[in-house]
Amino acid sequence: MADKSSASTEVSAVQSRAEAHGISGTLRQLALRGGPIIALVLLSAYLAAATPFFFTLSNLSNVARQTAITATLAVGQTLVILAAGIDLSVGAMAAISASVAAVLMTQRVEILGIAIGPLPFGLGLIIALAVGTLCGMLNGLIITKGQIPDFIATLGTLTIYRGIALLVTGGLPVPSHLTATELKGYLPEPMIWLGAGDIYGIPVAGIIALVVALVGWAILRYTGLGRATFAVGGNREAARVAGINIDRTKIAVYALSGLMAGLGGFVLAGRLNSSNALMADDANLNSIAAVVIGGTNLFGGEGGVAGSLIGALIIGVLHNGLNLLNVSAFWQRVVQGLVIILVVVFDQWRRRRFLR
Amino acid sequence: MISDQPLLRVEQVDKAFPGVHALDHVDFALYEGEVHVLLGENGAGKSTLMKILSGTIAVDSGHIFIEGREVGDLNPERAAQLGIGMVYQDLSLVPSLSVAENIFLGHLPKGHLGAVDWSEIYRRAAGSLEELGVEIDPRAIVRHLNVAEQQLTEIARVLAHHPRILLLDEPTSALSDSERERLFEIIGQLRARGVSVVYITHHLAEVARVGQRVTVLRDGQLVGTLPVEEADEDALVRMMVGRRLTEQFPKHISALGETILKVEDLSLDGSLQGLSFELHRSEILGVFGLMGAGQTELARAIFGLEPRALGRIFVEGKEVHIRHPVDAIACGLGFLTRDRREGLVPMLPIPPNITLAEVSQIPLFGALRLQRETETASQYVRDLRIHPPALDRLVIYLSGGNQQKVVLARWLASASRILIFDEPTRGIDVGAKAEVFTLMNDLTQRGVGIIMISSEMPEILAMADRILVMRGGRFTAEYQRGEATQELILRSAS
Repeated sequence: MADKSSASTEVSAVQSRAEAHGISGTLRQLALRGGPIIALVLLSAYLAAATPFFFTLSNLSNVARQTAITATLAVGQTLVILAAGIDLSVGAMAAISASVAAVLMTQRVEILGIAIGPLPFGLGLIIALAVGTLCGMLNGLIITKGQIPDFIATLGTLTIYRGIALLVTGGLPVPSHLTATELKGYLPEPMIWLGAGDIYGIPVAGIIALVVALVGWAILRYTGLGRATFAVGGNREAARVAGINIDRTKIAVYALSGLMAGLGGFVLAGRLNSSNALMADDANLNSIAAVVIGGTNLFGGEGGVAGSLIGALIIGVLHNGLNLLNVSAFWQRVVQGLVIILVVVFDQWRRRRFLR
Repeated sequence: MISDQPLLRVEQVDKAFPGVHALDHVDFALYEGEVHVLLGENGAGKSTLMKILSGTIAVDSGHIFIEGREVGDLNPERAAQLGIGMVYQDLSLVPSLSVAENIFLGHLPKGHLGAVDWSEIYRRAAGSLEELGVEIDPRAIVRHLNVAEQQLTEIARVLAHHPRILLLDEPTSALSDSERERLFEIIGQLRARGVSVVYITHHLAEVARVGQRVTVLRDGQLVGTLPVEEADEDALVRMMVGRRLTEQFPKHISALGETILKVEDLSLDGSLQGLSFELHRSEILGVFGLMGAGQTELARAIFGLEPRALGRIFVEGKEVHIRHPVDAIACGLGFLTRDRREGLVPMLPIPPNITLAEVSQIPLFGALRLQRETETASQYVRDLRIHPPALDRLVIYLSGGNQQKVVLARWLASASRILIFDEPTRGIDVGAKAEVFTLMNDLTQRGVGIIMISSEMPEILAMADRILVMRGGRFTAEYQRGEATQELILRSAS
């Protein structure tokens, strides 16, 4: 063994080296994680130059409103993917939550012989969030207690939730002139405000998405659940040996994904001024794409909410830009797919270079 | 036998990774028919040198010559063409495929119409395995083999390409004594056929057994190359650590305290048959057994990792019900797994890896104490001399010994009173081993009871206050400190 004094000088020498490493470490982090931001800035700069309509207040607030739903769902999806899961049912959970709430807020229904409704806005919101959370929890329970792969379980519940939403709405938009014969023919004002309103020109839906992202970020960074999520996704066996309850962690992230899907669905229905069982059908793939573009490892353990927010913005800006440039809806799909692939290819390449 | 012209010569090879100078202008030569042992502490650069020779990583500068001719950029294909074959430290087999398929992976013999010729594959695989003198069914699925059989399959796979230069990175870390002897015989036969071998090991005793020359690396630099006749263990240890180890096993004998852990009638279908024992405060209880005797299952059952285990466990006199590691941790237990990959979350930095067991004890939405976490981590990085001492370094980039220290730090930080160490020195170097033993002494002096599972007889004889020997899921003997000898233990174990 080396004697104490030489050992301590050795340590202090390496510590100062470690501090120097800290500064270059920040730059390294930016280079490692900044890829999606660079892509977003380049895309926006191109669109600002290509069309005078892109960089206007009304268009940007439109982009924010459109992106908000994808971003809200993507935050929940990020938690799930970080825990090495995948949630294919976020769109269906958004639809079922909003539809159940919309039906109860506009109609009088009998549940177990008790007539309820039409309910006020506040109760409707709580019901949407509760339905989403329950659906998510059910996903988690099926995966952990039934020991079924995440992909299969949520593929199954995706269909189930859509089916129940169709049953609840009778396959019709809510409200519609067919269902609203005796009661309210419109959704509550505050709900529409959530989806389509502004505060000082800033879309409410965008603010909601930001708050959801902040909550997601805080959960990941500051709570035991967040740490457990990274551990379970990063090395399941090591997490187990360290005493982490894997089942509880997975059920919690799926429940949170359901909660955020419920909120997203509620806001979406407010924006559309109508809810239906088949809405948000592109939300699954868009939310997963946002997470992946944002740099989160699809196999879990690495990444975060901030990237997914950027990922959602890239998808939203691209969609908006292609509309402004009068690209046909058919070509839009092709371009969107290409962009997803290119961003991820570029990101992988850059990471490999920096990690070498 | 050794000719003038080296078969392989490495000149001034240099390789740096961010923050680490892995190889600092190293020279190395390998002659035909030579077994050249490569020694060094973890992070000395041995594996980096091997990976350069097998073409999996590129040099920053330097030259590589084969039979006097310089080879340019090596990649895995080029290295294979040149007759270089490498057996990796971490097994790289496909677990869901058969032994034969693994041996010929990527080179499946084709018959007519390009279809895979299965009978030919199994025939040739059986031949390769026979050549190695091992009895493994070529049709067996790799997942169902034990670690030693997997290791031998891996060696058979590399030998199937008839390499002239064979690189072996710690091939004996998973082997039992008899399998180890068998491997040495195989190496001897290969040598007689003119194959040259570079052999990385941590076992100093293997140097003279297997090699003709030995090269020692330290911190990426060449310390020296010696014929094995001139390399006694003391000299090698001095070269490796740059200082003399006064004592390899610094055992401190503490007075034993009261019983801290009592296990009664612990059973697990098939592998544990009603085990009962006690562990005292300040005691190191050694558990020895040959591979598959049930030692690992014993540790896992106590720690709540085998939910089907039956039996009663008492901690400090009170019966406890441990159904999951979270219960074990709450009772003050800690578990250092045999496989470090089961202990660490590779893509997280050092601090969260150290505090992971504590995190399991807080409620789902309970707040992490990040400030304290950083302080705890800094303290253990300093105390255990974890290198490099960069808290933001992901643990995947640490060497084996330093990874082991991170897991150790976790159980120190969670203030465990009962620690189970399953092969705590597996795959770590002499210096790190001595550090682990010193730490065990410190712990027993603080009243911690330690169950030390080990298949390294010298270390268990030196460190344990009491030794339990296992065979077929039962205890077959118990020895007090000083009573046991290697022969006695081995007789009880086999």
